[in-house]
Amino acid sequence: MKDKKKKAVSVIARSIYVIALLVIWECVARSGILGPRSSLIFPSLEQIGEAFIKNFVKGYAGTSLWIYIANSMKLLLTGLFIGVVLAFILSGLSMVSYVFFKIYDLTVSVFDLLPGIALLPVVIIIFGVREEVIVFLVVHAVLWPMSRNMLDGFNATPRIYVEAGKNMGLKGAGLIFGVYLPAAASYIVSGLKSGWARAWRGLISAEMIFGIASSPGIGLFINQMRTNMNNAEMYATLLVIIIIGVIVQYGILRPIEINTVRKWGMTK
Amino acid sequence: MKKNLLKTIITFGTALSLCACTGNTGAGTTDVPAAQSGSSSPAEINIAYQYGLAYAPLIVCKEKGLIEEAYKAATGSEVTVTWTQMSSGADINTGIAAGSLDVGFMGVAPAISGVAKNVGYRIFTNLSGQEHGMMTSSADINSIADLAGSNEQIALVNIGSIQHIILGKALADNGYDAHLLDANIVAMKHPDGMAALESGNVSCHLTSSPYIFKEHENTALHEIKEVNAAWPVENSFIVGVASTDLHDSQPELYKALCSGISSSIDFLNSNFDEVAAMTSEYDGNTPEAELEYLKKGVYTVDTKEIFTLATFMSENGFIETSFSSYSDLVFDNVKGN
Repeated sequence: MKDKKKKAVSVIARSIYVIALLVIWECVARSGILGPRSSLIFPSLEQIGEAFIKNFVKGYAGTSLWIYIANSMKLLLTGLFIGVVLAFILSGLSMVSYVFFKIYDLTVSVFDLLPGIALLPVVIIIFGVREEVIVFLVVHAVLWPMSRNMLDGFNATPRIYVEAGKNMGLKGAGLIFGVYLPAAASYIVSGLKSGWARAWRGLISAEMIFGIASSPGIGLFINQMRTNMNNAEMYATLLVIIIIGVIVQYGILRPIEINTVRKWGMTK
Repeated sequence: MKKNLLKTIITFGTALSLCACTGNTGAGTTDVPAAQSGSSSPAEINIAYQYGLAYAPLIVCKEKGLIEEAYKAATGSEVTVTWTQMSSGADINTGIAAGSLDVGFMGVAPAISGVAKNVGYRIFTNLSGQEHGMMTSSADINSIADLAGSNEQIALVNIGSIQHIILGKALADNGYDAHLLDANIVAMKHPDGMAALESGNVSCHLTSSPYIFKEHENTALHEIKEVNAAWPVENSFIVGVASTDLHDSQPELYKALCSGISSSIDFLNSNFDEVAAMTSEYDGNTPEAELEYLKKGVYTVDTKEIFTLATFMSENGFIETSFSSYSDLVFDNVKGN
């Protein structure tokens, strides 16, 4: 019962918050305080709504936003998959070999600081002008924060668990899957969440700078809208980015969290 | 439960009032330029420009204070000129529409798009014409006809940029659809495009001065001539736009702006050596190379072929608005076509 009340409060509070933000947006758009060209630079919700539909129905130069979203999602999921798998493998290996841990820890610390976009010229020379460049940048965005979380999680595993595992005859991969991964589950879920957010942002930024017209992504669409001063369409596209982000956050990551670490009583 | 709800309401009340305060502050800030535009306040003008030697006259204008000088000569008063370097015409368009910029310098294509979108400005001067061209590393590509229908990738700075429009015009001039090669485009900045071409990662690079000159020096590359012919160096490349508010409500300042730009172009045309020494530092070239590149440009206040370009853009779906005459694009004082 208490949980139900909490849930109701949470829904009401969030709804009021979102409605308040929309009301403020609309008031600013309609008040004209941004000057005579307010509707061009700060379009009303109605304009954004119309642009939202237009993006999907008409698109840009005959290409619907669906195509852009499909291309982006394909690259994002590929990069995300590679990044997560690599993070598992490399962080796992770090627990098996001390020397590897020291080297990988240094690598993570160095590369986590580098913005993917700054690497673009080098990446183009290595991979060429292909979709793989974007995939690489997504992997770069996911791998290091995810690995950092996993390494921290592994290191926070109580020594007694590790010793118990060893006494039960676990070693190598068995120790990682039997002890380290379950013990670090909350860190891994947190790493997944931050990795997903970084990957999503990294993808959009990369596409805004490096746009392949034959497989156009959402970032290129935003850039095209900016270049043509189609600000309502640009805001509508930002809305699409938010909607996809929220769907993944609450539709995929949250259930994973609820069915694992929360169910096991590892987090609140 | 009641306590919780009350807490929630209080939290939102506080958040909303904070937002409202921020909103008021914003309103106050946007009011400032309006107040300053009154004749009693000191004159102020905000100018945005971009990177590269196509903007060289502006470095002269800035360094020598030519707008300030012209304004003082006309009115006896001081003017504060604020120069901001921005990285795209789209950002300058937003700045002018929002009222935070009075003047901007950009490629002629985004300027035409801005006038079409009713951003609130018109072209008040031409600044420079520069050489454009498309270079390729592929021995099989020697003309636009060789590219038509192929999958060869073409690097250029952005979709909707003047380079994109020039590609469309080169196609149309040779009997093809202006958008035939749109799917072949890879949008990337000039230096990245040059690196991609020279490392063999794209087949073609459509670029402008000085990158086109640097690529000319590479014997492994050759030029597809139709692109240069579609928009020769004499045609307008970079133009200046001024807000209609500045033009209508501060005529003395507008005149000083036009005069300052005109004087800087005159100075450049008669002192290439001095200007090259001045701008080479900004552009990262040696003074010798800068001088060579500068001399290859055409610097004049008169526009050339911008109405032709606007008509082409409109007829081929690059913009949704059509213009009935040259005067729809420019202020009355501008000469050219």
